Amino acid sequence: MSPRRTAKGGLIDRARTIRFTFDGENYVGHAGDSLASALLANGVSLMGRSFKYHRPRGVFSAGVEEPNALVTILREGVREPNIPATQIELHDGLRVESQNRFPSLAWDLGALNQLGGRLIGAGFYYKTFMGPVMGPLKGTRFWMMCERAIRRAAGLGRADYEPDPSRYERMNAFCDVLVVGGGIAGLMAAEAAANTGKQVVLAEQEPYTGGFARWSGEIIGGEPADTWAAAMTARLAKLDNVRLLTRTAVWGYYDSNTLAALERVNDHLARTPKGHARQRHWTIRADQVVLATGALERPIVFCGNDRPGIMLAGAVRRYVAEFGVLPGSKTVIFTNNDSAYETAAVIRRAGGHVAAIVDVRPQIGDEAAARATEAGVVALTGHAIVGTRGGKALSGAVVQAFDAATGSLSGEARPIDCDSIAVSGGWQPLIHLASQAGAKPVWRAEKQAFLPPEPTQRWVGAGAFLGTFGTRQALSSGRDAGLKSVGKRSSRAKLPETPATELDLTPAPVLEIRGKGKAFVDLQHDVTADDVRLAHREGFVSVEHLKRYTTLGMATDQGKTSNVPGLAIMADARGIAIPEAGTTRFRPPFSPVAIGALAAERYGELKPERFTPMHDWHSERGAEMTPAGLWHRPLAYANAGETVDQAYIRETAAVRRSVGIVDVSTLGKIAVKGPDAAGLLDRVYTNTFSTLKVGKARYGLMLREDGLAFDDGTTWRLGETDFLMTTTTANAGPVMQHLEYCLDVLWPDLRVHLTSVTDQWAGAAIAGPKARAVLERCVSGTGVDNGTLPFMGIVHGEIDGAPVMICRLSFSGELAYEVYCGAGHGLHVWEALIEAGEPFAMTPYGMEALGALRIEKGHVTGAEIDGRTTARDLYLDWMLSKKKPFIGSGLMDRPALIDKNRARLVGVVSLDGQRLGGGAHLVERGNRDEPGESIGHVTAYCYSPALEKYIGLALVKGGKTRHGTRAFQSDPLRKRFGQVEIVSHHFFDPNGERMHG
Amino acid sequence: MVERASPLGNDFRPGSYGDFANGADVAISEVPKAAIVEARAWPGKENALAGLVSSTCKLKLSALPNSGAANREGVCAFNIGPGRFLVSGAREALAGDIAQAVDEETGTVTDLSHGRTVLAIEGAKVEWVLAKLFALDFSNNAFPIHAGRATAHHDVFVQIQRRGEKRFELYVFRSFARAFAKSLRRAAQDVGYTIK
Amino acid sequence: MLIDCPHCGARDLSEFSYQGDATRTRPDPASTDTKAWIDYVYNRPNPAGKHREYWQHAGGCRAHLVIERDTLNHEIRSVALARRDYNGGDAA
Repeated sequence: MSPRRTAKGGLIDRARTIRFTFDGENYVGHAGDSLASALLANGVSLMGRSFKYHRPRGVFSAGVEEPNALVTILREGVREPNIPATQIELHDGLRVESQNRFPSLAWDLGALNQLGGRLIGAGFYYKTFMGPVMGPLKGTRFWMMCERAIRRAAGLGRADYEPDPSRYERMNAFCDVLVVGGGIAGLMAAEAAANTGKQVVLAEQEPYTGGFARWSGEIIGGEPADTWAAAMTARLAKLDNVRLLTRTAVWGYYDSNTLAALERVNDHLARTPKGHARQRHWTIRADQVVLATGALERPIVFCGNDRPGIMLAGAVRRYVAEFGVLPGSKTVIFTNNDSAYETAAVIRRAGGHVAAIVDVRPQIGDEAAARATEAGVVALTGHAIVGTRGGKALSGAVVQAFDAATGSLSGEARPIDCDSIAVSGGWQPLIHLASQAGAKPVWRAEKQAFLPPEPTQRWVGAGAFLGTFGTRQALSSGRDAGLKSVGKRSSRAKLPETPATELDLTPAPVLEIRGKGKAFVDLQHDVTADDVRLAHREGFVSVEHLKRYTTLGMATDQGKTSNVPGLAIMADARGIAIPEAGTTRFRPPFSPVAIGALAAERYGELKPERFTPMHDWHSERGAEMTPAGLWHRPLAYANAGETVDQAYIRETAAVRRSVGIVDVSTLGKIAVKGPDAAGLLDRVYTNTFSTLKVGKARYGLMLREDGLAFDDGTTWRLGETDFLMTTTTANAGPVMQHLEYCLDVLWPDLRVHLTSVTDQWAGAAIAGPKARAVLERCVSGTGVDNGTLPFMGIVHGEIDGAPVMICRLSFSGELAYEVYCGAGHGLHVWEALIEAGEPFAMTPYGMEALGALRIEKGHVTGAEIDGRTTARDLYLDWMLSKKKPFIGSGLMDRPALIDKNRARLVGVVSLDGQRLGGGAHLVERGNRDEPGESIGHVTAYCYSPALEKYIGLALVKGGKTRHGTRAFQSDPLRKRFGQVEIVSHHFFDPNGERMHG
Repeated sequence: MVERASPLGNDFRPGSYGDFANGADVAISEVPKAAIVEARAWPGKENALAGLVSSTCKLKLSALPNSGAANREGVCAFNIGPGRFLVSGAREALAGDIAQAVDEETGTVTDLSHGRTVLAIEGAKVEWVLAKLFALDFSNNAFPIHAGRATAHHDVFVQIQRRGEKRFELYVFRSFARAFAKSLRRAAQDVGYTIK
Repeated sequence: MLIDCPHCGARDLSEFSYQGDATRTRPDPASTDTKAWIDYVYNRPNPAGKHREYWQHAGGCRAHLVIERDTLNHEIRSVALARRDYNGGDAA
């Protein structure tokens, strides 16, 4: 029998025993337990060590607000740190470790930090380490030295270095009404909305709906409240138009009534079923939202308020009533309102012992007094707890007479033996989501709480969220909210009957008892009341500054139990009222969300892969693939024992010697059609296309509006009003978008249609002196001779039964053709071409060889059209038409863009046999260590088999004027420095005889 | 005639996958469409174009945004943008027929028969699976039969037509088809799926 | 955040690309007034409050939209197709 388990009661399944381990020790609990309730039932009150001082801590709450009992779950080979023990459903095989302790939870060396507690108050790290260097033990360098040790000593759980094998997924949902919170108000709202036939989603962060009804012990509609809630839930579950999401925390409220929620789908099972997600991220777009999020209890801050055994009064009640666990054998109640009196009565009913009720108020009402009597004590009104005793566990409280009006203590402090303190500082509505939605909370002095303001988005509040507490209010406001969310007026129909309570939940305005010793405001971040006052003395009076300086409310619990007490202390220090001190705006997430859940299926490369029709052929041939945007392209087809460098040099040489073939399916292709197609091209290209004859192609250059070069490619005139534009692989999307903008916004009068046909066509370029011979062997239906297919000509024919379109154009400087066919025929045509090339030992080549061929030829690509170069920089002035305006013509002649000293395109040759480096700077001074000012940089390089040298293209100040001069490449990253010669970028066959031949 | 290769690769094989112990709740298949074209109207000619496509393909296509139509021969068409329709069918000559029918004063026709791959997904949990990939409301009210949507899954453009109570056809760029099929299959694992 | 595309209906922000200020006018294409071009290309008012912008429904129908948006709170006051000449498929 567990030492703290009650004999009966609670919603746990006592017939089902569950085994779990905590720090390697075996324990048992029951189905329906949380880890926290099971540990408490086993008499374990020490659950963690605090963030900064390593003080022993126990569980403080029973829900999502838990600041102390954070643990690490070991599951499916992964450590998941910082999970509140209150949020973990017990399941067989659960393995959990405590955190932030060394060597063990009970004997923690870090607890020595407590001795220096005065020294490491608010701002300690900044003051100690971030100041100016004043001797050896100060300043940023010193910080960097100490950081490792400090980071290990201070903190929470340790994350894993292993990849997370868990599966997460995203889900989109649309509904008329999203009800957030499945308590009494939420259930009523969901039912009311669902009865009108609307689509309703009800999200509840706990494993079960019912909320307060599960542990209130009240009667609703003649039955126990938990039975009522279960029946209500079962009714809703049967409705087709209701989706019930339990274990689902709505954590973000964004624009356009879009909400984010996290469903812990399988965390309560020992193992996630294969193919299923562990957690599911929901994006819910709701026409209306009902916020029925309830309220959280907050503590009163007093000295020594963090010992294991001290917890919120409502949590104690919940442990007794929901889980059948008495957190202590002798409990002292400490409160500023009536709600904790019910806790006292509940403890007594369950067979526990209440040692005292300490109430800061001078007097209490009859209802509270009756509860005290039931609990077997007389309330000590006008008293406060001023200190606690104990070590790893609580052993007593110290109480003293207290004047709530002045905050002063008097009389003798006297001890009361206890091992549990249940504290209540009143209730704060959970208004996080309303705040995220854009509204500023409103302080209500009479309720001593921040209440939700008028909605700024389409939401309706219900239940304790509104600051109206009690079951009767939850039933009626819940139904009203449900009706209002679907545009209906309140109903007069009878509500389920429930006895009224006369308990007064309005707290006395006392949230701190000042005394000597550490009184914690933020338990998770170890921020004390004195830290808040220190911050005030040092001038951090704005609540935003206070928060950042002390880190109050910035831990994983986001200050759910500490925000209001912290504000109260700051307001008191400044001598102003709480609303004047202000409150910070709540930001998502309401409760922690695993990064994995946000990434969901976007893992690994984070992007889809794009394959050409010949992809599998390349792979089977052992090509090393390289990403080009989303595309995967062959880098080189290395033979056995060959490096990529050796392979591309061989491939490049083969093209120059005989013939090669390369997959160019990735080039962007846009169908440009319509009576004004040629007109559009004249406006977007720097050169003229309206003069292009049908059946011919032309190389074109586009500028941006600012006059800089944008993209280049050939455009083919297939018919009078039918063009096929090609773009660089990388710019296919941006060019399309640019053209669409032109048509939609700039020139809506042009009748032109654009369609992306990149994927419609597979393309293969055949290049080399034997290229024509290859085509002659396989093309039917058309000639490919110089007369029929001249340079930049286009013909239509067939290859092995598949229709093809062939354009004679060259990127390599060789006699070359681009063969296009339907993508579904791509592999078929490719293989036919390969076969036709056999007599000439036609060599497939990849990106590296493609690059080497174009560098030898001095053709520019994205490395040179880098968004900073002009057409003139690239010696493409000849393409700038003087007869017509075009995009970019307005600004391309700005003085700075035609400056003589601009970096312009040149070739460079390595003089010392060293390879060049893309991005290497060129300098004039031959001093490796002091290279001086850069005159430009290398944009691309290769080994040129034709020249038998490392060559490159570069952008160099003055460009052509430097031809024949020498410079040095300075590439400290690759540890290279060496002499180069600056030459013309037309390294190979400058007159184009091969290509036209 | 040369047969067209599927872009989906060897992994896309018939069988049952995922958690199908209690039955596969969706089926995924590649739909052979010999003809896919985009027909596009000049502004103001939307109804005329819808009419020409309708008469050529024996459909009742309107020019309303997001609308669509299909006939018994499996020819289907849906709206994917202002004045834009995606029309497809099993008969290869369809592409030429539509191109013939649409005169230059009405609009243009662009052949995409090779450029788009069509995946069908159908079954009891089809809306659940698709909701993982797209921020669209797949409920029957919001997305009726024959209606179309142009949307995107991450970087992949997808055009979707509802072809039945529990059947959708997804048009993706051919080069993305393999990666997209992977995403779709992954999304269907928890409900169990078959490839037909 | 959702944008109500006049063609497709309300869609997630992620389907749209921002395409710039919709209040500027492009100079005459043949204009050599550099200042006018510089105003067009570079100078933006950056108002706090109501703003007219071009957005493209890039992950949808591809149409460019003119959106009136409040830069202070992201409220979208109106959305229209940049091209007004589509008749939007009025029932035939």
